Order: sequence, then C-alpha cells, then structure tokens
Amino acid sequence: MTTYRVTIANRENATFEVEARRPLLESLRAQGVDLPYGCKYGGCITCAAKLTAGTVNQRRQVALNNRQINAGYVILCVARPMSDITLEIGVDSHGELYRNPFLDPLEPHELKASPHQEPDDGP
Amino acid sequence: MRDAHRNGIHCKRDSLMECCGPGFASPADAINAPRETLLYTIAIYTGTGIQKPDYLATVDVDPESPTYSQVIHRLEMPGIGDELHHMGWNACSSCFGEAGMSRKYLLLPGVRSNNIHVVDTATDPCAPRLHKVIEGAEIRAKTNLSGPHTVHCLGSEIIISMLGDARGEAPGGYLHLNNEFEIVGRWESSMGDIKFGYDFWYQPRHNVMVSSEWAAPNTFMPGFDLEEVGHLKYGRELHIWDFEKREPVESFYLGEDGLLPLEVKFHHDPDSTHGFCGAALSSNVIHWWKDDAGKWQWEKVIDVENEPHPEWPIPVPAVMSAILVSMDDKYLYLNNWLHGDMRQYDISDPHAPVLTGQVWMGGLLGKAPEVNGVKMAGGPQMFQLSLDGRRLYVTTSLFSTWDNQFYPEIRERGGVMVMIDCDPINGGMTLNPDFVVNFGKEPNGPSRCHEARYPGGDCTSDIWL
Ligand code: FES
Repeated sequence: MTTYRVTIANRENATFEVEARRPLLESLRAQGVDLPYGCKYGGCITCAAKLTAGTVNQRRQVALNNRQINAGYVILCVARPMSDITLEIGVDSHGELYRNPFLDPLEPHELKASPHQEPDDGP
Repeated sequence: MRDAHRNGIHCKRDSLMECCGPGFASPADAINAPRETLLYTIAIYTGTGIQKPDYLATVDVDPESPTYSQVIHRLEMPGIGDELHHMGWNACSSCFGEAGMSRKYLLLPGVRSNNIHVVDTATDPCAPRLHKVIEGAEIRAKTNLSGPHTVHCLGSEIIISMLGDARGEAPGGYLHLNNEFEIVGRWESSMGDIKFGYDFWYQPRHNVMVSSEWAAPNTFMPGFDLEEVGHLKYGRELHIWDFEKREPVESFYLGEDGLLPLEVKFHHDPDSTHGFCGAALSSNVIHWWKDDAGKWQWEKVIDVENEPHPEWPIPVPAVMSAILVSMDDKYLYLNNWLHGDMRQYDISDPHAPVLTGQVWMGGLLGKAPEVNGVKMAGGPQMFQLSLDGRRLYVTTSLFSTWDNQFYPEIRERGGVMVMIDCDPINGGMTLNPDFVVNFGKEPNGPSRCHEARYPGGDCTSDIWL
C-alpha cells in the first residue's frame, strides 16, 4: 500500500499519512480534519483546497475552470495524492477561487474543459 | 417568554385547519385566512467557511409577540454541506377535498448533497422536527437524478425537479415521491429535447405544466462563468408539458430575451392560462398564455435595463432571480439582485404590467447600503408574500458560490430578512421600519437565509384543481 504525507500549511503544518488510492477528503476527514464538502463527486467546488507543493490526480473533478486549476486549486473529494503534498484548506484558501465574472472575464484557454473529454482515472 | 409563546396562537394555527383537507377552497378564501404569525426560512453554512449544518429557522412574525422579528427556533440538518435552497409542502390546496391529508411536512432538499429532508412542522409549529431523510445516494442510485430544486405536491404525491443526472450533468428530470416519502421513481414519461431543468408550475384545468431552465449542477454549483452562457451551458427556453401524459409538447426559444429563465408562476386562478417567468440574466419578465385559437403564445412584458456603475467596464445587469404573483393575481413582484431593488407591478392587464412600487435594499448600485440599522451584503433575492398581499418578506442570499462571487462581504455579514409593506388596493411598497432579522448575528456565526414559507400556505405553493 503506497502512502504519502500531507502537510496542511494553514493548520500549523499538521501532517497526515494518507493512502495513494483514496480521495484526500475521505482520508483527511477519517483522521479528524474538519473539511467542507457538498456533493462528494467532484462537481460542486465546496471542498476545494489549494495545493502549494506536490502533485495530485484529480481527473474526475468537473467543478474547476482552467484559471482555478492554474491557481493551484484541487478538489479534495476526488483528488488522490501522487506524491507528498502541501495543502491550504478551507475558505481561507479560497481567495482566488471566486471572482466577479463581469469584472474579470475568463480567457478562452481558462474556460472549464468539457467533462466528456476528460479521461476517467479508473477505480 | 418562550413558553408563553408556545401556548399562544402560533402553535395552534395549523391544527385549526384540519377540519377538511389542507389549504383553502379557493384563492379568495386563502386571501381571507388568518394573518401569518410564524415563517420558516432556510439558512445555510455551506460555502461560508463555518463547519456547521444548514438549518431551518423559525421566525416570529407576530407583531404582538415579545419575540417579534427574531429567530425563535433552529432545526439543524443531520450533516454539513447540503446547501438547502428551496422548499415545498407535502400537500397544498390541490388536496383541499381530501380530509385525510394535511399540510404537515415541509420538504427541504439539499442542492449539493442531494439529501431531501422531510420536516414535521405541525406537531409543534414553533419547533419543527426532522421526520425523515431521503438519502441523496439512494436517489442517485434509484433514479439517476441529482440537484433537487422545486418541490410541488401533486394530489397526495410529490414531484421535485432535479437539475442533473446522478453525475450532475443536464437535463436531469423529475423525482416522484409517494405520500410516505418513498421513492416511486421518475415522474416524467419523457424529457423530450429539454436541455436543462429548474422550476415548474402546473395548472390542472388546462392539463399543462410549464418548466424553465437554469443549467447542469456541475455548471452552476461551482459558480457563474459568464462565458458559459455564450457556450450554451445555461438555459434560454421555456417548456409546455402535457401534464397528464407527463411529456413536453412545445418549447419557446426565448433567445437573448430569456437568458437563464428561472422562476415560473401561473396565475392562482385555476381557470387562467396566464403565467410569468423571470429571465434572470436578461432581467426580463416573460408572459405566456393560451390564445383564443388554443395556441400557446409568449411575449416579453418587463425589461429591466442594465445600470452603469463607476467601477464596472460594462453596465450592471439587474439579475432578476425570482418573481412572485400575489394570491389575487393582481400584482407581480420581482427582485433585481445586483441592482438592489424590489419591484411591484400591477398585472391586471398581463400584457401590459405597470410599475406601482419599488424599494431599495443593498445591491451594487449603492442606493441603500444600510437597512433598519443593518449593513447589507447582497441584494433582494428570495421573497414570500402574505396571503392577503400586504407583507412581503425578503431575503438577500442567492446561492453560496454565487454570493461569494458578487458579494464576498456576505461571509462576514451574513444574510438579512426584511419586510416590505405592500398596498394591495392602490399599489405601492414601503420598507417596514420595525422588522429586520440579521442572520449575521446567529449563534454559530453569520449564516445566509433564502426561501421562506408560512405554516398555513403561501403564495408560491398552492394550486387549485
Ligand atoms: S464535495 Fe463537491 S466538489 Fe468536492
């Protein structure tokens, strides 16, 4: 069983060992981290966190547009770690997640990808 | 104080009505019902940063009561992350003839979790209690649906518009529940070519249902990207259904006049074919009716212009996210969430509404940043009118992610409920100076209130057969 270390920067750098195959929301909540969530399938953005180091596989998410992805946001209910990672969690990490869509429009390359073009990452 | 309250008329009102079926024999009877003394509104923590469940708040609206204009009870949902939004009754005036039925249960769907909470409001109207939860996972597995929105009862059964399939993609369909709140399955025979779902209302004497379009849950839940309107990921059509056959028979393509057609309301008069829809982004009211030749027609009857803003490169759209028709079918109320005004139109001639009242509260145009001593975050959003048409209760939050985009300060300030006094005889609206419920001061921190309903029936649920 592969495990990785998750550091939560805005929780005094608390660290947790998590399984590579399990979604981060599930692993962290099971270890007592109080995280927001809603749909639990990657569609609603409520569980978004900011990845500041390492990589995750979040191909199943359908909530983020490309600007949010480029800003480092990850959808914890479907994201699985692919290395040791560092996260900022909760709404204090959501500073760049929400923007007024009239004042700050997206460029074509920043739009959300169509979910049908996303390969599934399997079980 | 609380006990005195419990022994007062509040907690007895509903039982007084159990002589026949629920509701009223006619809209005229509803108008003459006793004044509301309690109302229920949902309040959310989902998306606010506060790790607490969403809840159903009971608000005291009896001016004679010592706790007038306060939240007197909070029923928390079992878990976090539901995003409660709209609600609906298990029964309404469409069951008036059925003595065995009563308006006892309020259904509270969670848009994000897919859970549907059935709340008993009759045993103690001041302190509603949770009766049952229909789990979101069960709904997804049995019906391939998610994203519950509008709840209407249908005789002794219930249908709920579901905006997505189990994966959150459009168009979703309609969940059918029996009166034990068990899943019957899908209500509709076919969705035809419908691309999106949102609200619906039916008028049985004309065998018709009208439904509107928002977007797929996966599109609207994360927030609003304007570009996605251009990419046709948001709706712009209304649909006419054969209600008995449960299938769409005709669609109106509204185009640029009808971007994001959200709330649909028929006249309460069961013989009328007239109805209205508020197109949120176009900020227009669309009117439909059946003409003398038996053909369904539509037209735009109200167009709220975009307004200039010193800091915006483009004029600000009004964002008309809700409409409501008074019980006497004389007035239509609408909100302009980004502008910050509530409006009243006389619709005696449904082809030619006349603006008769306007009140400012919050909004981006800066016309009423403070109301009754409360600094507003958000604008007028959801509202419920008293059966007699004299009191309009208005709340300020739209949907957590959309609030966060347009009114980020709502995180610290929370939502607000205010009351507008309306003149149903001559028209006109004024803000009531004595009523304000500041959800920014809730015990667990700032929450956001949305839809409101009264125990005895209201202007957005009752349908007559
Ligand atoms: S909980 Fe909805 S996207 Fe993760």
